[in-house]
Amino acid sequence: MIWILLVAHLVGVVAVLSLPNPRPAFAVALAAPLASAVWAASRLGGGEIDTARLDWVEGLDLAFSFRVGPLGALLAVLVSGIGVLIFVYGHGYFGGGDRRGFAATLLAFSGSMLGLVWADDVWTLFLFWEATSVTSFLLVGTKSTDSTAVTAARRALLVTVAGGLVLLAGLLVLVDVAGTATLSEMGPVTGDQATVAAVLVLVGAFTKSAQLPFHVWLPGAMAAPTPVSAYLHSATMVKAGIVLIGVMHPVLGAVDIWSGLGVTVGLLTMFWGAIGALRHADAKLVLAWGTVSQLGLMTAMMSLGSGKAIFAAVSLVVAHAVFKAALFMAVGEIDIRTGSRDLRSLSGLRTSMPVAFWVMVFAGLSMAGVPPLLGFPAKEAAIEASLNESGASGDLILAGVTIGSVLTVAYTTRLVLALFSDKGGEPTEVTPFRWAAAAPSVLLSALGVVGYVLAPSVTDWVVPAAATLETTSAGYALLRWPGLNSTAFLISMGIVAGGAIIGAAAARHSSPPEPLGANNVDRLVDRTLDLAKWTTGRVQHGSLPIYLVVMALVASLAVIPFLGSIDANQLYAWDRPLQAGMGTTVVAAAIAVAVIRSRIGAALALGVVGLGVSALFLIQGAPDLALTQLLVETVIVVGFVIGLGGLTTQFPTNGFVWRSVRIGTAVLAGAAVTAALLASAEDTPSNREALTAAAVDEGGGNNLVNVILTDLRALDTLGEVVVLVVAAMGVLALSRADTARGGGAPLSDDVRKVRR
Amino acid sequence: MIRGRSPVVRSAIRAASPLALLVAAFLFFAGHNQPGGGFAAGLVIGAVVALRTVAGIGRPQDATRWFAVGTALVSAVALAPLLGGEPLLDQVIVSETLPLLGKVKSGSALVFDAGVTAIVVGLFVAVFDGLDADELGRDEVHV
Repeated sequence: MIWILLVAHLVGVVAVLSLPNPRPAFAVALAAPLASAVWAASRLGGGEIDTARLDWVEGLDLAFSFRVGPLGALLAVLVSGIGVLIFVYGHGYFGGGDRRGFAATLLAFSGSMLGLVWADDVWTLFLFWEATSVTSFLLVGTKSTDSTAVTAARRALLVTVAGGLVLLAGLLVLVDVAGTATLSEMGPVTGDQATVAAVLVLVGAFTKSAQLPFHVWLPGAMAAPTPVSAYLHSATMVKAGIVLIGVMHPVLGAVDIWSGLGVTVGLLTMFWGAIGALRHADAKLVLAWGTVSQLGLMTAMMSLGSGKAIFAAVSLVVAHAVFKAALFMAVGEIDIRTGSRDLRSLSGLRTSMPVAFWVMVFAGLSMAGVPPLLGFPAKEAAIEASLNESGASGDLILAGVTIGSVLTVAYTTRLVLALFSDKGGEPTEVTPFRWAAAAPSVLLSALGVVGYVLAPSVTDWVVPAAATLETTSAGYALLRWPGLNSTAFLISMGIVAGGAIIGAAAARHSSPPEPLGANNVDRLVDRTLDLAKWTTGRVQHGSLPIYLVVMALVASLAVIPFLGSIDANQLYAWDRPLQAGMGTTVVAAAIAVAVIRSRIGAALALGVVGLGVSALFLIQGAPDLALTQLLVETVIVVGFVIGLGGLTTQFPTNGFVWRSVRIGTAVLAGAAVTAALLASAEDTPSNREALTAAAVDEGGGNNLVNVILTDLRALDTLGEVVVLVVAAMGVLALSRADTARGGGAPLSDDVRKVRR
Repeated sequence: MIRGRSPVVRSAIRAASPLALLVAAFLFFAGHNQPGGGFAAGLVIGAVVALRTVAGIGRPQDATRWFAVGTALVSAVALAPLLGGEPLLDQVIVSETLPLLGKVKSGSALVFDAGVTAIVVGLFVAVFDGLDADELGRDEVHV
């Protein structure tokens, strides 16, 4: 079933792209997520585990491996279920036009996310992790003509992909210390290596889940169309980091630095995100910063690692996905129907857009953690988890969670009040109602209430999921009404009251901050590109002789490490006297090449060198090499005929310095090659008898060289011919570059010279 | 320039081309047991292409077609064993007794070698096309 569902996403992508008519794009796209959601929902609360495995490279322990247990089912319901609603919403949001590419990319993202939450192998997980980065880049940059969107997409990609590389490093270290790449087989690890892995994995998770200081990409990503933001930047992709911390908890949770680092960064992010949400005037940016803040709370809870905290984190993931998607959808609906998201100018929406208003109220109350909504028991669980921590760090955590929650209530209150207040003057004009854009958000905000009423059922789904990460999570439940004598409940009520007061006071004020972090990232990227341009200008100046000199010099240096292995005792002059004669001829011809002033003369002397070498091969007993060398020489002669045709008959005269440099380089390169040959002469030759036998047995041929090329070492040949093809395509592209660009493009003089 | 000055060269190249191709074919098939092979055969064909170009007999073009054929053959041989669960590039050897030729042994390496040949020829075509080598064969080019 796992394969069927994952492949269904792939098939869906192709199907959407090849639709003859763009109209049903979203309807076709939602088929695969719908099937996944239904299948996953049917497994909620049950204990059964499905696995699927496809070995890819057995020797390297590379496999596509999936495992769907309670957690996989729960996350799949969120990913695919909200995905279905997003496709419905997308249909209403865009209201026509050709969106096949968009729908297909969104579906590809949805499939990647599903693969990520189901992965049971770290490399499978990493593959889908990167796939979500790439697809999200495409989705954020949907408006490819808008430079803000393009910059934002680039920023998001660079930050998340850089984090992906860090994660890759972390996973490599982890697999080494854990001894397996399969997540379900990994036991807890500790020690220095585990600490390194833990930090790297956490940093990877931080970039994806927009934790301080990597959060800078998320607000910018709001340049994406709202369906993307509602899906990627609230319910799914940004949760990948949280999920990663979760699945790594059983393995790395015992490392000392794990919870300290995760909780600190998480709480700081929760605080800073909330401050951002309080200052912005763009409703979507408020939600984005609010998401950063909420992700901080989830990161803190997931990495805190106690049974209660993991339970709270999983509950928060569920509650947040539901209410944040609804909030984004409502704001998007306001955006498309009024053309604005500005808290300071929108007016009279409470009467003109009642549906969006009530959606925002319910989803907002859930975000603030007010009963009777699902957000309340989840937030309660987080506060209780903080209360359970003892000592000074426990107090700090409780203080952090409390302050963060107060600010959460504050920015939620401010958002709803400011967005729907009457600003005086004319009410904002509103275009007609679109059911597809409103219905999904209504459903989701209603789910907040339903989830609260059915809290025991939700508990039954969440507890087994949390218990797969931390067995001590099993005893907890989402409480609808903890009672007035519960400390957590009193703190909760205090948070709501305090936050509401701050939020109401802040409703009239906005001071959108400069996106300093984002600007710095952009500046860094621009500077890097400038540096690359500068370096390219310096290094790639276009003079072929200088390229050759540099390459020869650098290549000569490579021989230095091998100088020590030259064994003078093993050297002797020749096997046969004929070699001496031929060798002398080659040397003499090589000197002649350098001395002769006439180009055609030098070419002929070079020919003598080549023929002499091929004669040496023949004497040595390598007819294959000799034949090839001979043929190459023949072709080179033709090449010279073509090349020399357009040049003067004599070499130009060079200055003393340049001449000296070239002579020096030539001598050095010659010495280096000689030294390399001397050094390799010491090595015992590969087992000739065994190779010959293998050639006849396996390769079915007596010509050892050719059997090596086409059979025993065919992989090398494969690589070589690919290089040949690439090089030749490069020659073609280079030689056609100026004609293709209209003839006026700057090509270096040397290339021109070669072309003539 | 060559066409204008030396009809002898042109006729000689014309006459020699089929023979050279025969040599290439020999090298190609001999390769498994004697000196030769796909690379050498490719070089000989490449030399033919070069000579004909310089003499103004043909114009090298469509290197990409050679590359396409070569890469397809090489990758097909490389990947085909995977379908049967064998490792990458695993060889299949067929032995058959044919009239006239007697017992002939051959394998998928021969197809692989054919791909190599095509790519080497493509390389020559690409280089000579890129250098506009055929202009040398035109009368109007003066050096």
